[in-house]
Amino acid sequence: MADPMNVVGRPTPRLDALERVTGQARYSPDIRLPGMLYARILRSPHPHALIRAIDFAAALELDGVVAVLTHENCDIEWASGDRANPRMLFNNPVRYYGDAVAAVAATDRHTAEAAAQLIAVDYDTLPFVLDAEEALEPGAVPVQPGGNLAPPFGALAGGGAAVPGPAVYERGDVEAGLAESDIVIEDHYVSKHHNNAQMEPRTAVAQWESGKLTVWTPTQGITNCRDDIAEAFGLPYEQVRVICEYMGGGFGNKNQCQDTDLIAAELARRTERPVKLELTRKEDFLSIHGRWPTSQYYRVGAKRDGTLHAIELTGYSGMGPHIKSSGDIAGIDFYQCPNVRKTVHTVHTNVTTSANYRAPSYPQGVFGIASVLDAICHEIDMDPVEFHLRNATRQYRDATPYTSYGLIDCIEQGAEAFDWSGRRRPAAVDAGPIRRGTGMAIGAFTARLGLSNAMLRLDDAGTLWLHAGVTDIGTGAKTTLAMIAAEAMEMDLDRVEVVWGDTDRSPYSVGESGSRTTSHTGFAIVEAAEDLKRQLDERGPPGPGEELVAEASPNPTLDGEQRYSFAAHFVELEVDTELGGVHLTKYVAAHDSGRIVNPLTATSQVKGGVIQGIGMALHEELLYDRNTGIPVNPGYYGARIATHLDTVPIDVVFVDTEDAHGPWGAKSIGESTIIPVVGAIANAIFNATGRRIKELPIGRDRVIGAMS
Amino acid sequence: MKAFANLSPATLAEAVELLGAARANGEIAYPAGGGSDLLGMVKDELVAAPDSIVDLKRIPGLDSIRVSDSGTAIGGLVTVDTLAGDEGIRLRYPVLAEAAAAVGTPQLKNTGTIAGNVCQRPWCWYFRQGFDCLKRGGDQCYSVIGENQQHAIFGGGPSFIVHPSDTANALVALDAEFQVAGPNGERRVPASEFFVLPRDNLQRENVLDADELLVGISLPASQAGRNGAYRKVMDREAWTHAVVSVALTLDMDGDVCRDACIVLGGVAPIPWRVSAAEDVLHGQGITAELAQQAADTALEGAQPLAKNGYKVTMARALVRRSVLEVSGTA
Ligand SMILES: Cc1cc2nc3c(=O)[nH]c(=O)nc-3n(C[C@H](O)[C@H](O)[C@H](O)COP(=O)(O)OP(=O)(O)OC[C@H]3O[C@@H](n4cnc5c(N)ncnc54)[C@H](O)[C@@H]3O)c2cc1C
Ligand code: SF4
Repeated sequence: MADPMNVVGRPTPRLDALERVTGQARYSPDIRLPGMLYARILRSPHPHALIRAIDFAAALELDGVVAVLTHENCDIEWASGDRANPRMLFNNPVRYYGDAVAAVAATDRHTAEAAAQLIAVDYDTLPFVLDAEEALEPGAVPVQPGGNLAPPFGALAGGGAAVPGPAVYERGDVEAGLAESDIVIEDHYVSKHHNNAQMEPRTAVAQWESGKLTVWTPTQGITNCRDDIAEAFGLPYEQVRVICEYMGGGFGNKNQCQDTDLIAAELARRTERPVKLELTRKEDFLSIHGRWPTSQYYRVGAKRDGTLHAIELTGYSGMGPHIKSSGDIAGIDFYQCPNVRKTVHTVHTNVTTSANYRAPSYPQGVFGIASVLDAICHEIDMDPVEFHLRNATRQYRDATPYTSYGLIDCIEQGAEAFDWSGRRRPAAVDAGPIRRGTGMAIGAFTARLGLSNAMLRLDDAGTLWLHAGVTDIGTGAKTTLAMIAAEAMEMDLDRVEVVWGDTDRSPYSVGESGSRTTSHTGFAIVEAAEDLKRQLDERGPPGPGEELVAEASPNPTLDGEQRYSFAAHFVELEVDTELGGVHLTKYVAAHDSGRIVNPLTATSQVKGGVIQGIGMALHEELLYDRNTGIPVNPGYYGARIATHLDTVPIDVVFVDTEDAHGPWGAKSIGESTIIPVVGAIANAIFNATGRRIKELPIGRDRVIGAMS
Repeated sequence: MKAFANLSPATLAEAVELLGAARANGEIAYPAGGGSDLLGMVKDELVAAPDSIVDLKRIPGLDSIRVSDSGTAIGGLVTVDTLAGDEGIRLRYPVLAEAAAAVGTPQLKNTGTIAGNVCQRPWCWYFRQGFDCLKRGGDQCYSVIGENQQHAIFGGGPSFIVHPSDTANALVALDAEFQVAGPNGERRVPASEFFVLPRDNLQRENVLDADELLVGISLPASQAGRNGAYRKVMDREAWTHAVVSVALTLDMDGDVCRDACIVLGGVAPIPWRVSAAEDVLHGQGITAELAQQAADTALEGAQPLAKNGYKVTMARALVRRSVLEVSGTA
């Protein structure tokens, strides 16, 4: 058991909860500046088309219209929008339904909307391809000039030109391993485009003053957003200021800078007036992002005694026209296995560009691998818990030790809390139309360490000012970091004031992505506090008008180790085989996230991730009409985003581990929470019905289809 | 979005006159109850841009429910929530109270009126995404060769929408009568004739003309209605329309069914009454076998499209279960 602490480890409500629930919190859409113009985007009605001509004379003639941008008069590149090919703010050809064609700035919203509709675009429609595997067939229409197979993401991340090809990872000899296995399961799993559906749609407000650009925008990382904007406009970093005081979620959807930031900034530059660009909910669903759809082919071999012996995965990820994120299909890393080969193709398609959504490459991969392993358990009549205790990873990729390891504890304590031995029954034992089943799956997610920065100021009133470059995307980061500062300074939490969300007032932060705010920035806070305490010892508290200031920019690294958080989830549910419904009745999520800084917000993180996973497993999907290439259900209603009534009380178990790194051994939590959910639910549906559903979402149509 | 006038007539006659005048001038005017469907459609440009919206909410006298032994009158402006919570309705017409309670969310029930709920436009996702389909005057139905998992298994063609209103199914099951006000005065239309199939009128889902209003609904004082239920199955547990639903009333004499009415929702462009299934129950003691037989009969003749065959299984189960449940046999 880790030592008890004064502040850290105590359930603590968010510092800004009151502002948020009373409407005082200022979000980017709340920003209104004198003389501000409103902008709207005209989007492509075709999934793939060449723009022959754009005529916006009529739009400009409309009273109140100030500027129009198109690919012809604006060639700004959105560098973080695509790592494989140049992606402009406005592209020709347009490559998906919803691709930005033009932007209009006008004195009010209605005029901007009306003007956008007055823009005449002459399109030459092109054939389109929606599906990743179809896009790789000979003769498929090229979505990008270099063809539809993108280079492996790892190669792109290194920068420079990369050669198209799949990402391949290999250890051992997979063919030999399969041949040596007593049982081999060969199967195919399909996951769909799943929208982040965060509450707050994108909005950017841009203003230029004396050559300095300020952008208010909901971003998960003010620093990298600022850097991206500065690079796009050829400005030194200090000439750009990014402010994000409050934001309404992102879940990976708002990493880096968005095209909306750049379009607003460019319109503001040309018009010499502040510009606000707002997306509608539909635009937010369409224009970018969402988890990429995958097609996964497995061959997995095990010995009769339940020892996993070979895993082969060949996967295809449909990324849309642009490669913004890895496109990986992950999950097989959670298992010890001597023979592994994974080949993942990231493919250009004419659908909305995918990017990051909470644990970007995992839940879909776990759906596949956890289902296949569950099938092996069924085949050899082995309890999945026993199988996982035997086969769960002990070292990263069977080679590198973890800094701390609580996966087995998660499986054991989770199973205990769930009463697995009491609830688990053989597959498909119920005879009536309502069938109960249980399932489990595991997860792991990196708990990175890396460069971060924090500044502490102690003033003469005894207030500790913590400057941290976070935006608090909903994770409670502001509170967590203040708790770390209070703990490190041995002060009460109410004496800490956080300065955040403004690149001019808060220092560098890696951004709230990759579940790393607590580890990265928290580490810097602890180090700054050491310095501040030393100063206090030497000089005593600051006198009137004085301050003590300490800053730290640590860049901790790991030597020959990997740092991971772990999870095991257990679910019980009922399948109505006639109505096709799946109703969850019990859920236990056991997590090893190292030391839990704030049990209240950490628990909320787990619940939030599980709920998103339930939606992904059972009903959510951005569905494309195959004949037109147009999505039929962008938005909360159509994409059937999970509601409160779709959830189940979620029991959260944190297992105790001691990690020598990070702030007092705190690891990561945000993303590991969604990783096992889909796999656990799919396995419970099999346990209930004896039918394995291999395509997401597992809606009523698929359940009934599987039963007939 | 084109600017439009928001008109607030103080009387029914004035409202009808405004609609008639617009029509005569070649203008477009839409009546609005709560506006919860209409305004979204106007903003999304899913219907022709109106010159005016005629807000009915100021008209007095249309927002009350009168329940009596001789029958019941429901004003067209009664909110869905009021209907769901009304004691008299819950007691005498549980199928209607339950159908109203099953609508969307509390917000929608508080805003939406019964007339608006019954007259809401289709929720076919092609229609709601602005496809230029048959319903909108275009020349093809996208669903029939596309994503038709939500579409009709009965009565489809050339459009395959399903009627979205929960309350409409209950009203048909209760043999309600709709009061319609128009330029030529009032007419009364039985619920069974109010809704129209696409093959009869592609542009509208009911018999109302552009200058007609649904102003009230009357329910017969039937004994049968007292024993009923509305069962709705959705893709998620709130905030959405039925995939399949059943509005059922059963008049029981001990174990024997005197009278039954079964209306399926989510399966056809109109509330889909299955009389042949009702006949199976008439005069019979309800058993599991009989309920199954009624359910099988109800789904006879279903014509599923490529992706909505699962609705047949669902509807069959829902009919069987509801009959058993409401008859007390389950
Ligand atoms: C997200 C969402 C989920 C929903 N889920 C459900 C659901 O589960 N079940 C369900 O039944 N409904 C559902 N609805 C529909 C909702 O119930 C309707 O929007 C509401 O009942 C309509 O009532 P209103 O008074 O607001 O109608 P309005 O929006 O004012 O009008 C709707 C239509 O009827 C016409 N109209 C209105 N009043 C009259 C009248 N007196 N005479 C003639 N025509 C008239 C209007 O011109 C318009 O075309 C949902 C809607 C949304 C947005
Ligand atoms: S079902 Fe009706 S509304 Fe839907 S696409 Fe076909 S014609 Fe249009």
